[in-house]
Amino acid sequence: MIKGEGMDKRWEKASEEIKGEKKIRPSLTYWQDAWRRLKQNKLSMIGLVVIILLFITAIFGPMVSKFSYEDQDLKFGNIAPRFDIYEVDKSNYIYVHPEYKLFTVTSDGELLDSLRPVKNDMMNSQKIYEVDGKRVVLDYKNAKLAKKNPSIQKYKILVENKETEVTKRVFNKTYFFGTDSHGRDLFIRVLYGARISLTVAIVATLVNFFIGIFYGGISGYLGGRVDAVMTRIMDIISTIPLLLYVILLMVIIAPGLKTIIIAMGITFWVRMARIVRGQTLSIKQHEYVMAAKTIGAKNFRILSRHIIPNAMGPIIVSLTMMIPNAIFTESFLSFIGLGVSAPQASWGTLASDALAGIRTYPYQLFFPSMAISITMLAFNFLGDGLRDALDPRLRK
Amino acid sequence: MVCKAKQNLIIGEERMGKFIFKRLGQMLFTLYIVITATFFLMHAIPGGPFTREKPLPPAVIAALEAKFNMNAPLHVQYFDYMKGVFSFDFGPSFQKVGVNVIDLVQSGLPVSAKLGGTAVLVVLIIGIPLGIISAMKQNKWEDYVVTILATLGVTIPSFVIATMIIYVFSGKLGILPSFGLTSWKHYIGPVIALSGFSLAFVSKLTRSSMLEVLQQDYIRTARAKGLSEFVVIGKHALKNALLPVVTYVGPMIAGILTGSFVIEKIFAIPGMGKYFVESVGNRDYTVIMGVTIFYAGFYIIMVFLVDIIYVLIDPRIKLHD
Repeated sequence: MIKGEGMDKRWEKASEEIKGEKKIRPSLTYWQDAWRRLKQNKLSMIGLVVIILLFITAIFGPMVSKFSYEDQDLKFGNIAPRFDIYEVDKSNYIYVHPEYKLFTVTSDGELLDSLRPVKNDMMNSQKIYEVDGKRVVLDYKNAKLAKKNPSIQKYKILVENKETEVTKRVFNKTYFFGTDSHGRDLFIRVLYGARISLTVAIVATLVNFFIGIFYGGISGYLGGRVDAVMTRIMDIISTIPLLLYVILLMVIIAPGLKTIIIAMGITFWVRMARIVRGQTLSIKQHEYVMAAKTIGAKNFRILSRHIIPNAMGPIIVSLTMMIPNAIFTESFLSFIGLGVSAPQASWGTLASDALAGIRTYPYQLFFPSMAISITMLAFNFLGDGLRDALDPRLRK
Repeated sequence: MVCKAKQNLIIGEERMGKFIFKRLGQMLFTLYIVITATFFLMHAIPGGPFTREKPLPPAVIAALEAKFNMNAPLHVQYFDYMKGVFSFDFGPSFQKVGVNVIDLVQSGLPVSAKLGGTAVLVVLIIGIPLGIISAMKQNKWEDYVVTILATLGVTIPSFVIATMIIYVFSGKLGILPSFGLTSWKHYIGPVIALSGFSLAFVSKLTRSSMLEVLQQDYIRTARAKGLSEFVVIGKHALKNALLPVVTYVGPMIAGILTGSFVIEKIFAIPGMGKYFVESVGNRDYTVIMGVTIFYAGFYIIMVFLVDIIYVLIDPRIKLHD
């Protein structure tokens, strides 16, 4: 009964309607499905957006800034990102630096120039300046008292012998994040530090990735005695505190960008190799690998075309988890003095440099620390989401 | 019945002995590799420890090399060093005149051990209960607070926590001392910074394994028997939920060990970590070597102990791997 109809329909061109019906539930590939799941996880999407923004600012930020990471202006050293200004007259404002130096600024916080005292009266603990014909006196008699009693103001500003109060608190318009002790713009250095830190993290992770895939793939695929020996080697390496060996390697091959990458790349691959080995062991039992073998595919081809691509899910998850670790390790190494050398800067060296002046210039530590923490948080969120999205065991 | 159980026990003990023996062998082999690797890595350095910006006269260098036994063939030096290590003699410091590496270890170790030990205790005493609370109150505010704290603890580097503590509590508020390790107050800052990461990790770990255990049938049985919630959690659930935490103790010790480099530097605590960082800074090769081997050996022994404890408390583990 259906024969006639069915036969006819089979040979007809499919109508638009049928095409539309198919589109309602498209079949999803593994990656499409993973992406769909990832999109539902708000935290990891936030993480992803933060990471993308970070990369964009790290790449393009230094291009648009008027300063370079190595420009230094000793005159403008240790200037805070937000400071109090005093009004001298309608068009002239001054900012008093914690080191008792005076700067002329605009009313909205742009730094103009540093002032030289006309007279430095050490006897009366006074510095006398002239701003636009007006006599400005910086009186720091109370500095010693203020050390014991924090409620006392350290200094007074007298304009034409009249004590002046702070007019307002403004943001630094010239140096958004302030400057370091050499007068280098901290904003551009944090951005530049992002370049270094991210480069180190990603390249070191990639090196781990390739060594891990190579080692784990061979170990898992060949199996037997080779696998036993290779696994034993991994066991031994993983009971050695690797950070110590990263430090040793860096001591041997003078510290620098390349060294950090090499040292981290050739030590931290064991975890990746373990994951790849485990995946390879289970995937090589699948029928399609058997089929490939039957038609005479070479071992290398089976590994690179069949096994590794199918193990990509867990590999990517552990890659995203390794990046924050690498960022942390890099900043840790920089912090103990094994980082990139000045004038280059990574987040770790910036934080380390700021340590000396932590009491007076806490902002110098705040920005690089925030950068490290936010980046690690973002990668962790993304990694968590990816694990949920890519791990087949969690699928319902 | 009784006889058979006893027999099983004997077989178990025999296996256990074999297992410990095997692990001991592995441990010694790893130690050997660590010493060898460290020795040859340090000797691969171009230049050598007496290379200065202003070159020393050749006679001085020759005298120094003779003094430190550096003109002997490499394999002789290697065996000498090996012998030294097993009698805890790591040679003299290159930079500090008249000081042996073992002296530095002896003066630094008690300080570092006190600090590290306190940190480990804090992690276990605070981290585990936090994890339990968070699992018991799943998806309530207590859980969210612990989760947020744990996430922050895992992501904020220890040196950032340390410097924040110095800035806020020593600088702004002036309630904590910022350097040294003389009174109990001195411990607060370094211990928080040192244990932060592990504390967060342990509470996360305890939470997830507790949640898993609480779904098991034997917990339902225990509740059905009418046991109090305290007994169900404390006796039935906790025992099994803490197994993953035991495996983490090894890595935790490594983390606290290496973490102490930075923390001791920031808080100016005269421990081994500070000496190590200093020696890295002024390229004091024998100190770097000695401390590395000491740390690695310590860590390897800890991992060994944790492995054995784990087998003892978890009957599911098969000894023949």
